[in-house]
Amino acid sequence: MPTPASSSASASASSSHRRASSDLMVRIGSADSEIKLRALRELKNQIIGNRTKKLFFLKLGAVPAVSCALVQAQAQAQADLLVQSAAALGSFACGFDAGVRAVLDSGAFANLVALLSFPDDKVVDAGARSLRMIYQSKLAPKYDFLQEKNMEFLLSLLNSENETVTGLGASIIIHSCETVVEQKALCYAGVLKKLTSLLEGSPSQKDASLESLATIIKKNPEAASKFVSESRRALNSVIDLSKDRNPRTRLLACMCLIVIRNTSPYYLQDIGIKTKLVYLLLELLDDPGQVGEEASYAFSSLLAQKEDLQKLAFEANAIDKLHNHLKKHSLQPRRYQGILLALAELCSKLESCRSRFLSLEALNLVTDALSHEVADVRTAACICLRSVSRSIKSLSAGRFMKEMIVIPLVQLLHDPSTSVQVAALGAVSNVVVDFTTAKSTFLQCGGLKLLVQLSKSMDPILRLNALWGLRNLMFLADNTCKEGIFLELTAPSLSSLICDPEPFVQEQALALVRNLVDGCLDSIEYVFAEDGIILDAIGMQLQSTSKAEIGIQGMYVLSNIASGKEIHKEAVMHQLLLQVNNGTQAFILKFLQSNDSQLRTAAIWTIINLTLPSSPGASSRVVKLRNAGIVSQIKTMVNDPCVDVKLRVRTALGQFMTVGDGST
Amino acid sequence: MPVRVVESSAPSQISGANSGKTSPPACTLLSVGQAFSGTQNVSSLQKDEAWRVNVHIQGCDLEHGYLCGTMEALNVPMADTPVVTFWEGEIVDTINYTFFTGKWEATPEDDKKHWDKFPSFAPFKSQVEFDGGKTLDLSNYPYIFMRWKEQYFVNVGTDCGLTIAGFYYVCFSCSDGSISGFYYDPNSSPFQKLELKSTNEGRRSGFSFSSYELQ
Repeated sequence: MPTPASSSASASASSSHRRASSDLMVRIGSADSEIKLRALRELKNQIIGNRTKKLFFLKLGAVPAVSCALVQAQAQAQADLLVQSAAALGSFACGFDAGVRAVLDSGAFANLVALLSFPDDKVVDAGARSLRMIYQSKLAPKYDFLQEKNMEFLLSLLNSENETVTGLGASIIIHSCETVVEQKALCYAGVLKKLTSLLEGSPSQKDASLESLATIIKKNPEAASKFVSESRRALNSVIDLSKDRNPRTRLLACMCLIVIRNTSPYYLQDIGIKTKLVYLLLELLDDPGQVGEEASYAFSSLLAQKEDLQKLAFEANAIDKLHNHLKKHSLQPRRYQGILLALAELCSKLESCRSRFLSLEALNLVTDALSHEVADVRTAACICLRSVSRSIKSLSAGRFMKEMIVIPLVQLLHDPSTSVQVAALGAVSNVVVDFTTAKSTFLQCGGLKLLVQLSKSMDPILRLNALWGLRNLMFLADNTCKEGIFLELTAPSLSSLICDPEPFVQEQALALVRNLVDGCLDSIEYVFAEDGIILDAIGMQLQSTSKAEIGIQGMYVLSNIASGKEIHKEAVMHQLLLQVNNGTQAFILKFLQSNDSQLRTAAIWTIINLTLPSSPGASSRVVKLRNAGIVSQIKTMVNDPCVDVKLRVRTALGQFMTVGDGST
Repeated sequence: MPVRVVESSAPSQISGANSGKTSPPACTLLSVGQAFSGTQNVSSLQKDEAWRVNVHIQGCDLEHGYLCGTMEALNVPMADTPVVTFWEGEIVDTINYTFFTGKWEATPEDDKKHWDKFPSFAPFKSQVEFDGGKTLDLSNYPYIFMRWKEQYFVNVGTDCGLTIAGFYYVCFSCSDGSISGFYYDPNSSPFQKLELKSTNEGRRSGFSFSSYELQ
């Protein structure tokens, strides 16, 4: 049982601590330089690496006090005080955004910059160190490279003999260079050349230079080309640094090489360097610290969209290695996220990778990550699941439509974070393709209700992805499942989604209806519900759209309806000829003349279905199509460059001959 | 106004100047969701026999020459239910795959013997003998040649007394969606013929097309 004595002891310790801190604050404001100096040193030592202490002194108003001491010391050119006050401010800013904000709010930033011109090297060093801490935060003010005097100042920093000052120059570039214009300005001011020379400097200069080079070259082929062509030595130096004994330098060299490779398709294409990068990064993943953490992200960017590199990584046993990392207990969230994203990239294209991943039963670990407390980890787990579930072979075996996957996935559909929701929808969209008869599992887990809710979200990205999921869920769904989706979604909602302001939402809505009216003949009736508002919406959208993708999905809806009974075929005819009767060009003519072969194919299938010789009304429909100029348009397409279109045109012309009135 | 149909569907060889697409054309009748039905002749010396077969296309990736789906054998004597298998297909596109199988115990001689059975292969015969057909331009040819290899049983165990050790040489007609094929397994009766026609399930009067898209 706790005794009153111990709580009073702790209260007294806390109050004495508070008194000591207040005393320290008083001493910082002292007129006596010696007292002030000792107090500043004491403060700095207390807060270094101690977030709690930083926050505590921040609340006591220590930053404005130190800032004031800096200004006074500057006026009196007191070097020791300048060094200690700058160091204390730097400590507040180091890895602590609230500290950075307080330093900036205190107005000390300009004073710290002024220290760089001080005649005493120690002062310059302290000022540069402190500014570097600030520039490592996103809150640091953006540096305007486009002003001539700023560029000159930056070059003077990079040309400095002082390692901390050149490091500051690099930090400014890493923090502030964001646009192509800024990248170009830095290139043409000779910064690349200077950074290249720093690759042979001290360990910290090498690291700073590698990171700055990557910032300037990223997504800028001109900068990449300038860097590589300016001197042969430059690229070789970076390659050499990938063998440096310092793991951080090796990582930064790899990241720089990846940026060059991803920016320009002309460099670093030989298999030797690609393989080397794969092995280097896999080795760096083993580093227990920040390097290991960052290595997984660098690995992802190396593999992104590149099948050849994914193959190399597979051959280097990357799946097994990443899986081993994933198996470790109590992974830090950022490392956890990085490994999941690297696995996602690795499994994004190659079935061999997915197959290995699944054989290791890594799926269970990813499923666990779906319920992680950190949103970024949940998002990464969804992205990984999305990649792995691109395996049609596994979808066909019903490998994903299982409660242990579907239940946590469905729960993420009402996650408070939108990015988790979007990522979960991505995985759901694939999982629900399921070719077995297990789609009902998803419905039973409450997934349908949530998908429908999200399809009505104010956020267009959520609407798009929710509809994507519904469209895939509808693919080859049985009648019960279709009915369930339709009743939940309702005809009015579906027609308003077809007319959504966002074209990509319209496209998915139409693709969903296309699957709805496929299969059992009775399912066509859905588009005639509520006085045919769905069909009317489709007709309106097809008339007004200029996007081929929307035309394709819409025409397949009409084509599928036209594969039904006579009444269905006549309803499609009505939509096709509505505009002709109004005196405007029919959308079917526009589509038959489209440059998009898939759209021409979809349009011609509709005509084939309307004019099947076995259907009783085919003959009268051919007459109407001829009167509307559609038959003559099709005749012009017999030599269509697309084989699929050409073959369908022949079928259509053959049918016109069979059912026609002799004038075809 | 009637115009003459230009027969440009004869196969050609890639000329030096032609650097365009040479793989077979995309065909809506061979897209995901499409179904086919027909028979596979499994006759042996002892008796004539044919099993009814349904095929569903589940995945198609022309860029990688990949196609996959299921095959359902309906009246298999030793099975109580229809036997469903999952197969993966290699599309002969001269980029990802050539007419030569190079695996599954099929020699180039076996390949030639089987491809020869398709009348639509005749125009390629000499070129395939010369260089395996690597230089053929198949982009305008209205037939698609493939190999289908069954990978696993979907609804029965491997102890069902059936084998999926072999594979099919397949020829698909883009014009009418008909499929013919020959099963090859050195340990089974030779040249078991597969004949399938494009079907429209749901008793429709026309063709219906569904689609999905993976993210």
